[in-house]
Amino acid sequence: MSRPAPLARHILSLADTKRLLGIRYSDWILGSPSIETGIAASSMAQDEWGHARLLYSMLKRLGFDPFEVEHDRPAERYYSAPALDRPFADWADFVAATVVVDGALAVALESFGGGNFALARSRVPKMLAEEEYHRQFGAAWFTRLAGSGGEGAARVRAAARGMLPSTLAWLLPDDDLYGTLVAEGAVWPGARVREACAARMGATLAAADVDLAEIEPAREGWDRERRRGPGAPAEEAVERARGDRNRALFVE
Amino acid sequence: MSGARGGLAESVYEVFARKTRGDPLRHIGYIDAPGDELARVYAWKTYDEENWFEMCIVPRGAVIPVNRTDGPWAANRPGGKGGAR
Repeated sequence: MSRPAPLARHILSLADTKRLLGIRYSDWILGSPSIETGIAASSMAQDEWGHARLLYSMLKRLGFDPFEVEHDRPAERYYSAPALDRPFADWADFVAATVVVDGALAVALESFGGGNFALARSRVPKMLAEEEYHRQFGAAWFTRLAGSGGEGAARVRAAARGMLPSTLAWLLPDDDLYGTLVAEGAVWPGARVREACAARMGATLAAADVDLAEIEPAREGWDRERRRGPGAPAEEAVERARGDRNRALFVE
Repeated sequence: MSGARGGLAESVYEVFARKTRGDPLRHIGYIDAPGDELARVYAWKTYDEENWFEMCIVPRGAVIPVNRTDGPWAANRPGGKGGAR
């Protein structure tokens, strides 16, 4: 796969993050706090994979082979948000990710769907409609854990604080490639994205005494090509994302 | 049913839906949830086999039986054991 231009980098970043988020959600289909929660986790995982598929398919228009992009890249060529590199350690991680990472993805999509790339303008609104249930799920669980006091509140606060710096850097790239996208009108300027981010998750995070305005994006070791901080998703997740075990059965 | 609508205790919610505007709302099942917000999400995600025109949820404790003295809502009869009212 050749090195992507600004628009392709943006799409890959969204698609890979959705694919990895789907994998992390799927880990909790069994073992979440109730059957209904597991069903919701399953549905959210499927939403993320469906959205990833739609986003990967946009790359075809930009000259990429979607099959190669989806099934042939090593872990170090993934553009996903660093908060998803490792499995969620516990339910608090899952809940924090629905607010922080899923929330950041929704804001990034809102920005992309509000830009001038025709495919995004037509496909993103349905994704955002589905994302609304993710927002409600995350906000309800987060505020409940935060309000429960004790270990649950401490864990969800720590999980959110741990995910925010790298996720904000992912959402708000401070580099020339993102600047090009803004200049071309494909995405919103950073200030508007930050505003939308605050509207999306600020009040929810505040329930756990996390002040979004005080969190600095972690830009150290920024990988300009992959639009993310250092590191890569764990191999087990990438094997699942690529569908390695089903490789002999691919019919596309 | 716990009867609690806050904290982490779960309540039962009855789920009603219709496929088109002209259809009557039909009882399609129930879910357990610790509050109204999660109940809405769980209902939508659990009963997603149809492209519903409308879905509503009702806390089981709010359903008052009219003629039956058995079944899931029997406890809600005025003066019934464990009823919500």
